[in-house]
Amino acid sequence: MDLSLIIMQLFSGIALGAVLVITALGLTIVFGMLGVVNFAHGALFMIGAYAGLYLASLTGSFWWGLLLAPLLVGAFGMLIERVLVRRLYGRSVDDPLLLTFGLSYILVEGVRIVFGSDGIPFPTPSQLIGVVDLGFGFFPKYRLFVIALVAVVLLALWLMLEKTRVGLIVRAGARDPQIMRVLGVDIGRVWLAIFGLGVGLAALGGVLAGPMRSVNPEMGTLVLAEAFVVTVIGGLGSIVGAVVAGLMVGVCISMVALFAPEMATIVMFALMAAVLLVRPQGLFGLKGRA
Amino acid sequence: MAMQSSGAAPALPQAQRVMAAIADHRVLVSLVALALLPWLLPSKALAVNVLIYGVVVMGYNLLFGYTGLLSFGHAAFFGTGAYLTGIAIGRFGLPWFAAVPLAIAASTVLAAAIGTISTRTRGIYFSMVTLALAQLVYYVALQASSWTGGENGLRGFTVDHVNLLGLQINFLDPVNKYYVLMAFAALAIWAQSRILNSPFGAVIEAIRENEQRARACGYDVERCKLIVFMLSGAISAIGGCMSALHLSIVPLDILHYQTSGMIVMMVLLGGARSFFGPFIGAAVFLILEDVVSIWTPHWQIVVGAIFVGFVLFLPKGIWGTLLDLLPAARERR
Amino acid sequence: MSTELLRADGIGRRFGGFTALEGITVSFAAGELTSIIGPNGAGKSTFFNILSGTLSPSTGTLRFKGQALNGLPQHRFVHRGISRSYQITNIFPDLSVHENVRVAAQAMSVSYDIWRRRADLVELSERADAALTAVGLIGKRGQQAKFLAHGQQRALEIAIALVSEPELLLLDEPTAGMGPEETKDMVALLERLAERRTVLLVEHKMKMVLGLSQRVLVLHHGRLLADGRPDDIRSNPDVRRVYLGQSEGYG
Repeated sequence: MDLSLIIMQLFSGIALGAVLVITALGLTIVFGMLGVVNFAHGALFMIGAYAGLYLASLTGSFWWGLLLAPLLVGAFGMLIERVLVRRLYGRSVDDPLLLTFGLSYILVEGVRIVFGSDGIPFPTPSQLIGVVDLGFGFFPKYRLFVIALVAVVLLALWLMLEKTRVGLIVRAGARDPQIMRVLGVDIGRVWLAIFGLGVGLAALGGVLAGPMRSVNPEMGTLVLAEAFVVTVIGGLGSIVGAVVAGLMVGVCISMVALFAPEMATIVMFALMAAVLLVRPQGLFGLKGRA
Repeated sequence: MAMQSSGAAPALPQAQRVMAAIADHRVLVSLVALALLPWLLPSKALAVNVLIYGVVVMGYNLLFGYTGLLSFGHAAFFGTGAYLTGIAIGRFGLPWFAAVPLAIAASTVLAAAIGTISTRTRGIYFSMVTLALAQLVYYVALQASSWTGGENGLRGFTVDHVNLLGLQINFLDPVNKYYVLMAFAALAIWAQSRILNSPFGAVIEAIRENEQRARACGYDVERCKLIVFMLSGAISAIGGCMSALHLSIVPLDILHYQTSGMIVMMVLLGGARSFFGPFIGAAVFLILEDVVSIWTPHWQIVVGAIFVGFVLFLPKGIWGTLLDLLPAARERR
Repeated sequence: MSTELLRADGIGRRFGGFTALEGITVSFAAGELTSIIGPNGAGKSTFFNILSGTLSPSTGTLRFKGQALNGLPQHRFVHRGISRSYQITNIFPDLSVHENVRVAAQAMSVSYDIWRRRADLVELSERADAALTAVGLIGKRGQQAKFLAHGQQRALEIAIALVSEPELLLLDEPTAGMGPEETKDMVALLERLAERRTVLLVEHKMKMVLGLSQRVLVLHHGRLLADGRPDDIRSNPDVRRVYLGQSEGYG
């Protein structure tokens, strides 16, 4: 087997993993801070892709789409939290899950009504068309960009959580919401912000994924399963886990696709099953959370 | 604080006696209602669907309503029951009465495998893992197209007559088909009632109520969860067999988690943790679908909205809420 | 010469870098009523959880009637004859009082039976009623457990642990959250229970404990500080020093 081919496939896997990371991150952050798993996460990823495409064609620039779509969809996410999800805190743990699941039906069908059921191609921005010579092979510029952007976003997130006051509140709020209330922090606003952030990350994933696959109303369904696999492997609530697991799964799928492309998706689930048998809480999850 | 036991609500003691009688004879009542169903609904096809999905949801209810395990992957057993029935009949030429038990047995084995992995997790993890594992089954079915027909689904197996006790019944006649399938449903309903009345039925409710305490009482909770997973999968697989016999095709989508979601919706609609809830939920869902689809192709939005509405305002479902209005009936579901 | 029922040898437990228990060696004779006390953070709960199988020790061994218990999952402890109750009421809220106890009784025999009608298991039902009578709850047998008053729920707690007919009954703060009247009732119940089996209590209410127990263990910073009859403990200078300034609670 050609070494350069393997390395290229590795890079492809990292690009794939990058999108998985961003999507899974949104899911895991919302769970870690709010204890809620958003079953509409895949649908919101899809809406992000459509929003990005729409804004890009409206403004004539991919970059505006990339910037605005996550913000707008994130704001929509905040609306969802405020109006719907918030009513369920204190009720059974299953309820937000069921609610967001039902919501996903509404979102997907809504997109079908507005944009139709057929796939729409998402054109790669002109600045990122073409390949880059990495020495051992030619790699698509766009995918390199995706890897770079996700790395930047991860850095920004880390900085925000570790170094800023807001991040401190967020981390503390995850530990003990009661204390936060006593200290005068409006925990409701923190939840709103976190949910919005989680949804925004899903939307960002959607925009980034757009040029790599075509955009269609069903694209969120596989993404939801993928996000679940990654968060379960990495450990629900663990950011490090989401990153490690996302990259691992991406590379795994990519490498398997070299030998047996039809097994690629199946391998991802098998990996999850294997991790669960050995470490039910995930690689970086806390024992007792599982 | 004393709520009920003595002194029933002043209104309708008669209603409570009726409810109690219904609960005592729930299998009989179900069968009578189902026997009348084709004549109460606008179409026989709708009635058959209620039968099929009622059985699938009933199996699911054992896991979700009674044991408290919110699985999002039950389509795996519904679909496997259907596919294996079709494969056994179509590819191996087995008669239906051999194919069905085989399919159920194999689905139970699958439930054991999925159950072993997923019961290592709890709560939300469990829901996510069951979804993912069921999706794995979907992708395997998609890829194994020489066996399953892949995206196009499984075809080429049709049961046109059924030999029962020397009688040759034309299975293609809608009325005959309904009552033959009702026999399957009767078996499933009877099995479910038996399980719920058994000591094991008490155990799963205890697990739902307080898993930790159940363990401290001496129950091997993990093993019990696995067993109920298998029983639940077996009953839902019966529904799958019925579906295959009915349609003579098995669409790939039967394995998708959206089918799992539909099963969850039906049980919520009818009322989880109640004996009649599954059939009521299936009937309401399917009737609504029929009605709404006349006016708009965007039935999915209505489904989603109804689901959201039920979660927010009617979490006990239709039958469950009804039961809540009659205090003495609350204990006996 | 009473027989040794439970023996703990060098029991220790660490949580990450924190040592909750160290080198606890003690044996319990059949028929005794022993209380375990100690200030907050002494390790009482940890020790209790290890004795009941809820937690596994980091070091040391546990033997019950001569047989090692190490590595056994919690539910097997019950089958060996060790049953526990909880400090924070841990019952089956939606089930009836009778069913709460009946399903606990069932665990010893017919867990996996999916065929028989459980209404036919008359013997289990009678055992449940007997346990309810023993704790004084038989009059509430049909009521949903979540509607019981706090003191009654604590009694139900104990009935659930009792019905498996354990040789060793472990009770975690049975009087938790109770006022003086309810505590008196509970003490009377505990005395009755101790007549027929070995009882181990964890408690906070000093007066109650010293009045009720035949033997008292005092834990402090994860170690065994004192072990003896209530009078000896009362006059033990180490114990007094440790408890100086601690409120006794009521009871």
